Amino acid sequence: MMNRFNHLPTLKIDTSEKIPFTFKGKQYYGTKGDTVATALYANGVRIYARSLKYHRPRGFYSMDGECSNTMMEINGVPNVRTETTWLKPGMVIKEQNVKGSAENDLMGFIDKMDWAMPAGFYYDTMHKPAKIWPVAMKQIRKAAGIGKLSPDHHMPGKYDEIFPTCDVCVIGGGPAGMTAALAAAQKGLRVILMEARPWLGGQFDYRTAEYANRQTCHERAVQLAKEVEKTDNIRVFTHTANIGAYNNNLITGFQIGTEKDSFTERYIELRAKSVVVATGCIERPLLFENNERPGVMQAGCALRLANTYGLLPGKTGVFSIGHDLGLEAAVALHDLGMTIPMIADIREDGQDPVLLKAVMDRKIILLKGWVATEAHGRKQVKKVTLKSLDGTAEKTFDCDVLVASAGFTPLTGPLVVNQAKLKYDAHTNFFLPTDLPKKMHAAGRLLGYENGLSIEASGHLAGLKAAYDCENCSIADLGEAKKAMESKPGPARGTKLVMAPVKGRKTFICFDEDTSIKNVKQSIDKGFDVPELIKRFSGAGLGPGQAGIPGHNLPLFTAKYQALPDIKIRPTTVRPPLVPTLIATYAGTNHTMLKRTPIDDLQRKDGGIFRNIGVWQRARYFSKDFTSRKEIENVRNNVGMLDGSTLGKFRIHGPDALNALQRVYVSDLSKIKEGRVKYTAMCNDDGCVIDDGVVIKLGENDYYFSTSTGRAGQTVEWIRYHTRYENWDFSLVNLTDAMGVINLSGPNARKVLEKVVDIDVSNDAFGFSEYKEFKVADTIPVKAMRLGFVGELSYELHVPSSYMKALWLILKEAGKEFKIKNFGVEAQNVLRMEKCHVILGQESEQRTNLLDIGLGFLWSRKKTGYKTVGVAALTQAEKDNSRLKLVGFKMENNGRAPRDGALIVDDRVRGHVCTARDSFSLNEAVGMALVEGDMSKVGTRLAFYEDECNGELIYGTVVETPFYDPAGQRMKM
Amino acid sequence: MALTITCPICGKRNGYEFRYGGEEKGPRPDEKDLTPESWCDYVHMNKCVAGVQQEWWFHRDGCGSWFTIFRDTTTNLEKETPEAKE
Repeated sequence: MMNRFNHLPTLKIDTSEKIPFTFKGKQYYGTKGDTVATALYANGVRIYARSLKYHRPRGFYSMDGECSNTMMEINGVPNVRTETTWLKPGMVIKEQNVKGSAENDLMGFIDKMDWAMPAGFYYDTMHKPAKIWPVAMKQIRKAAGIGKLSPDHHMPGKYDEIFPTCDVCVIGGGPAGMTAALAAAQKGLRVILMEARPWLGGQFDYRTAEYANRQTCHERAVQLAKEVEKTDNIRVFTHTANIGAYNNNLITGFQIGTEKDSFTERYIELRAKSVVVATGCIERPLLFENNERPGVMQAGCALRLANTYGLLPGKTGVFSIGHDLGLEAAVALHDLGMTIPMIADIREDGQDPVLLKAVMDRKIILLKGWVATEAHGRKQVKKVTLKSLDGTAEKTFDCDVLVASAGFTPLTGPLVVNQAKLKYDAHTNFFLPTDLPKKMHAAGRLLGYENGLSIEASGHLAGLKAAYDCENCSIADLGEAKKAMESKPGPARGTKLVMAPVKGRKTFICFDEDTSIKNVKQSIDKGFDVPELIKRFSGAGLGPGQAGIPGHNLPLFTAKYQALPDIKIRPTTVRPPLVPTLIATYAGTNHTMLKRTPIDDLQRKDGGIFRNIGVWQRARYFSKDFTSRKEIENVRNNVGMLDGSTLGKFRIHGPDALNALQRVYVSDLSKIKEGRVKYTAMCNDDGCVIDDGVVIKLGENDYYFSTSTGRAGQTVEWIRYHTRYENWDFSLVNLTDAMGVINLSGPNARKVLEKVVDIDVSNDAFGFSEYKEFKVADTIPVKAMRLGFVGELSYELHVPSSYMKALWLILKEAGKEFKIKNFGVEAQNVLRMEKCHVILGQESEQRTNLLDIGLGFLWSRKKTGYKTVGVAALTQAEKDNSRLKLVGFKMENNGRAPRDGALIVDDRVRGHVCTARDSFSLNEAVGMALVEGDMSKVGTRLAFYEDECNGELIYGTVVETPFYDPAGQRMKM
Repeated sequence: MALTITCPICGKRNGYEFRYGGEEKGPRPDEKDLTPESWCDYVHMNKCVAGVQQEWWFHRDGCGSWFTIFRDTTTNLEKETPEAKE
């Protein structure tokens, strides 16, 4: 275990608290505040992984997950970015894609086989002959790749989602972002500030260089963060990566929870009136031979290891850098005890004089116009070769760390995914956003500013621009901020060097996909001459780092290699999610969103077995016998009760109520009389039947109607859609949840009802297909209909939901002497099937029209002038004999019923079974099926093909319908 | 969903709350003189404009009204109602 600093002001660790974890089966300890990667570093781990293709050793390189170098498996989850994942007690950490260990990988020899795998070698080789591909693929898949996930893996943790809104959203909590947030908040706006790291401060946080007036950058970051935190109208989301930005300023991200939070991760989707993007910069990788050997790391990474995590990256560090942060890191690490034999600075001039003096004071050799050309050491850096940029002079040094960086590269992701265009800027050597989306502003270091005061001034200006978008800032204030901005130093000059003077066989432009400079050259030589094509042919930038490593260098190198006079080439397109996001985070919490009827609990007490049916939970069975035999026989012989509350129930009233009904229902409803029940159906514009139900006229211009359970949610929308041009005057109320329904069915139903109602319910007074209103127990108002869905004497009782429990219990009590019992949805399904009463969606599918299903009698051909939905198509379909028809069938030789959905076949598929059951009422197996028209004649033999029947067909015959009580006397008695 | 829609009753709301109801094609054709072809054209044929189109939306999770907006199908942004042509 390495010694760790514990006195630096910038530290985020608490060395007094140890955190145990398991790595490769052994117990180790980290420190509170460690990421998984820093804890491993502290325990001496330098090789974190092997690369995708060549199995090259990989180590700590950047620090914010820009590449897959430090991805590991944690607690069974593969590809976890250990650089940004906080160490938690008991974590079980494993290496990925290695045979043996990352340290000693048996597949390491593949690195020497690169000559056999040029760019695009799959495309070139694996198709001749095509047969070798499946064989080769298996071997390649075994050798290549990153993590492995078990198909049975259960994702631990709690995932959530929130949808906040704000006036101004600031992406990035560095100096520019905090200043922007404060500027907008001071104008009285509600601000949301998103920061990817667990704390505010950005690049200022870990730097101890002077900001201004003897205040260090770190002190300034703390000061700004305090100000932000005490501003009530700024809501800060830390540890929240931005992953997308869209039209109308929709911003998405995800937040990683701490132990105090109620979530492991949560998805954030917010809408802002205006957005400030202050995401800053990462470093542009320096390209040279073995530029990703463990021990090579970026300047910011080396500095943060020391200043944030208290770890000296190594004993001896050579620097090859192109920016002042590199010099600053060298000075800081020297002061912490690192031996620095040499700094090679790409720049001939332009260095910060203060830093130059600091380097000289420490007697560190600084060679300007020099660069690292090769890192030596088989598994880790042991030696480095440096050359002058022209390649003439050369030096080598022993070292265990090589800090290498070509400069900065801006994080423009949020702007680019929201359609900003990137344009090359020669001064900064950046690709800078132009054509910014409306009400979206950029600020800070991503625009090239390096001076702290400039960064904050640009943040302040962007904050005010956002306030201006919200109409909370005057033009004068904006002008002042612009002037203040212009008085500060402008963007810093960026280094232009793309790569050291080497050939590039082992110079990696993309770490994730093992793409070398040689591979890029091969792609270009084959004609793939722009980054988008090179990316797809060579793989550069396709990995999980989302082009964090090659994003900037690829277009620069492409332009240079082709000797293009000006850089018109663009970086490859970035797409959301900008940071890899768990699918669990997108999915959020799995809420059970099912509705329960008012007598849900009473049915559960009675032993109801519930199933999810559409948006509802319904009692399907009342015993473990899933044929529901006892329930069925009780309805046929005595009396049963069914909870039908899920039916759609509506009231429509007003002068044009009838017009609206005539538009959507196929029957002529102008003829219904008060006190009668009219069964009818709705079609869509193709004549396909979508709904059936009953309509009752309650009074003048006042109707009550029911729809099937599945259509209840869309009926209002449907009727209003088809009447949207008419300006008709009607009111439509959805009473589905306000009313419950009890279906009382069986030969004894009247005897039960008689006992509890205040009117005469004899067959003469309340006949079949009639409607009555009455009270039960002098209190409960009931709308009652005499229907016969199950084929027995039955009453459908509609009552306000709040009375459902009372009515249910009253009927149960009154029915005791008549052997009343519950029946469930399955019993009802069999009962109605025996009567050949259809359930839409079961006897019909999307293409089934009204005529196919035998409901043509509902269609009133004489009704004209209402432009009834579906009639035009029905008129046409009437002449079409090729359509499927609904038929009833019986099984041959007392055979069992085929399964629902079984196919009807001869030499091809001719139809399918809708519902079929072994009928207890009939003592034989019967069912309904949709078959081609020529097979619908009574007597036609049907052959049924079931799943996994191994070719053994079963047979039935088309028969007359209905099967049970063909004369229909029982429901009319 | 990045789309926002301005409901005439509820104002500008998140696109999640609405259901799409197709291009604006005018009222249902008269039943007289209707051929199967002209009927099919009305029901199934769309212009699929790459640009600004007038279209129907239903405020499903809101007031429950049908209304039209103008939307640029290339940017998925709602547009101001163009001035009525004389």
